[in-house]
Amino acid sequence: MSKVLLMGQSNVGKSVLFNRLAGARATVSNYPGTTVDFDKGRMRIEGQDVEIVDIPGSFSLEPKDRAEEVAVKMLEETKGATVVCVIDSSKVERGLYLALEIIEKRHSVIIALNMADVAKDANINVDAERLEEILGVPVVPMVATRGEGLKELVSRIREAVPVEIEGIIKNVGGKSGTSSHS
Amino acid sequence: MWEVKVERALTADERWDLVDKITKEVVKVGAYKPGLRDALASLTVNPWTGIPFAIAVLYGFWTFFGEFAGLFTDGFFVRIFGTHWIPWLSGALEGLPDWLFTILVGDRAVFAEDFVGDPCFAAGGVLTTGLFMPFAVVLWAVIALFLVLAILEDTGYLPRLAVLVDTVLHKIGLHGFAIVPTLVSLGCNVPGVTATRLLETRKQRFMMIALLGVFVPCGAQIGMMEELIPGLIGWVFLTLAIGYLGFGWVLNKIWPGESPEILMDVPPYRAPQWSNILRKTWSRTRHFLMVAVPFVLLGCAIVMVLYATGAMDTIASGLEGFLAAVFGVPADATASLVVGFLRKDLAIGLLPIDAMTNYQVFISVILLTIYFPCLATFAMLLRELNWKEILATLGFLIVTIFVFGGILHLIGLAGGWY
Amino acid sequence: MEKKLSEMDYEEEGTIKGIEKGFREKVAGMGIREGKEVKMMTKQPIKGPVVVEVGRSNTSLGMGLAAKILVEVKR
Ligand SMILES: Nc1nc2c(ncn2[C@@H]2O[C@H](COP(=O)(O)OP(=O)(O)O)[C@@H](O)[C@H]2O)c(=O)[nH]1
Ligand SMILES: [Mg+2]
Repeated sequence: MSKVLLMGQSNVGKSVLFNRLAGARATVSNYPGTTVDFDKGRMRIEGQDVEIVDIPGSFSLEPKDRAEEVAVKMLEETKGATVVCVIDSSKVERGLYLALEIIEKRHSVIIALNMADVAKDANINVDAERLEEILGVPVVPMVATRGEGLKELVSRIREAVPVEIEGIIKNVGGKSGTSSHS
Repeated sequence: MWEVKVERALTADERWDLVDKITKEVVKVGAYKPGLRDALASLTVNPWTGIPFAIAVLYGFWTFFGEFAGLFTDGFFVRIFGTHWIPWLSGALEGLPDWLFTILVGDRAVFAEDFVGDPCFAAGGVLTTGLFMPFAVVLWAVIALFLVLAILEDTGYLPRLAVLVDTVLHKIGLHGFAIVPTLVSLGCNVPGVTATRLLETRKQRFMMIALLGVFVPCGAQIGMMEELIPGLIGWVFLTLAIGYLGFGWVLNKIWPGESPEILMDVPPYRAPQWSNILRKTWSRTRHFLMVAVPFVLLGCAIVMVLYATGAMDTIASGLEGFLAAVFGVPADATASLVVGFLRKDLAIGLLPIDAMTNYQVFISVILLTIYFPCLATFAMLLRELNWKEILATLGFLIVTIFVFGGILHLIGLAGGWY
Repeated sequence: MEKKLSEMDYEEEGTIKGIEKGFREKVAGMGIREGKEVKMMTKQPIKGPVVVEVGRSNTSLGMGLAAKILVEVKR
């Protein structure tokens, strides 16, 4: 594993999570040719030093401003990276939209189902285990501000794998896509 | 046969279809009664309640700023520098040759028995005023501004403020979110320029950068104004705000390009995270220190060299007639205006305030704000804009100085305030 | 009754019926799409932006953009 990218829509808690993971060793960097800044740091995964990047928030991979453009570029440029896709548990729907876009591009994805506390207060229940079954990638519920779920996330980062979107469609009982390729 | 793995991209509709199927299985939404937080969320974005709230917030912002900066500057550093550091240093370095003493410590006249005034500002040396201004005055103002800004950011208030001001700002071709680079610039214009990335089009970014560079005073200047001309600060802000909106309106009319409307997620309120806030404040402050301190020290050195060699008198007398004719600024203020190219806080510190009328001080401060972005901001601007935009910004700058400065001059004459 | 999102009144609710092409993709990631329920949260004076709630998220849109969205309003 070369790099860990934190991706997600804005205000899902990416930066809080980043601070928890990278600790004090973070630095602010600038994406070449732009003024878009992002945080970069290092974290330890199973005794190994790995670079971690807090990508600017993006609602989808169809950018609507410069920061989003950079987010998309950074994702494209780091093909071998593991993507921690951060989702707000109280807004799973739109978080999943971005997660699926990333999965379709065949990145290794692990899902951080953040803001579990907010979802609970709003009386929204998310079945993380079932979601993991459907997607075929690790799904970890967490509360980044309190550090809950952090250990599990780190210990499962290596389980992140690229998956076929067709498989996901099958898992929810849909037909396996409209176009076939062999 | 072989399975060829290709990326299979869904259309937006197919993807939503899939999202719906997944969420139907994994998400159960129970009944929810909106609480206090939701009430607050809608009250603060509703114009009739939100605008008074915004004014209260900004007023609180301002009060905090004054108290915080005052606590450190007047309560602590003025004493340290004024009664300990500067007298000690001037004594210790007394044996140095005149020119070196002038550059490091400052004008010898300040240390004479009969000097009245504050040696912190008046000395002017690199190791006296050069250290005093960034660390004792400006730093605390900048920290206070960045701290409040980080709190507003982390609680989720800024997007609501953006919605409220979009009503006005969109009329001049900007975006409600232009309030963010504007507020950041009140701390320091350099990260303010960076923050313009939030705006969508080149036109909006260009307009924003031009307006920031010209009309938004930075925390350093504000800190100095708060310290030296607290009574005039309200007028200065009001005047600059009028300029910002008025010239923004004109720029929007003449500069080609698109000004798309606001399209923005408005997140719910959240309890602020202190670790987040402190980290953000610290990282911005550190950046500010690295950018500003070398310029202030360099600025002090250059000014003192200019004084020591007599070059300042030549420059000042060259510009004197011109400045007096166009803006009604007295000759004594010319040196300060020259320094403004390097650091505006330093320049304000050098204004001969006691020798000018209130209106002359007022117009000098306005001129200092609008006439040239500080070097660090200018460097950012060169990096951010293309040549056409850079030339346009300079043109805008020159036109603004003459038009705006000229109008203020005329108003002052008409009012008989000179 | 159908009307544009920009014409909805304060606190009025409805279901999104259609979104103009080109704009549709832009707002997709924000969860705004056909079939979703929408509520008008605030309208700013003098043609300022609106804030609408869709799927427990609030989004602010300028009047011109809001006019690209068609809503079946609840009576
Ligand atoms: N209640 C709660 N708040 C959170 C959680 N994670 C982040 N936040 C808050 O959500 C807001 C946005 O977080 P931030 O990390 O800046 O989001 P980003 O835009 O994704 O980087 C901040 O006010 C955080 O304190 C969480 O798990 N629970
Ligand atoms: Mg962030």
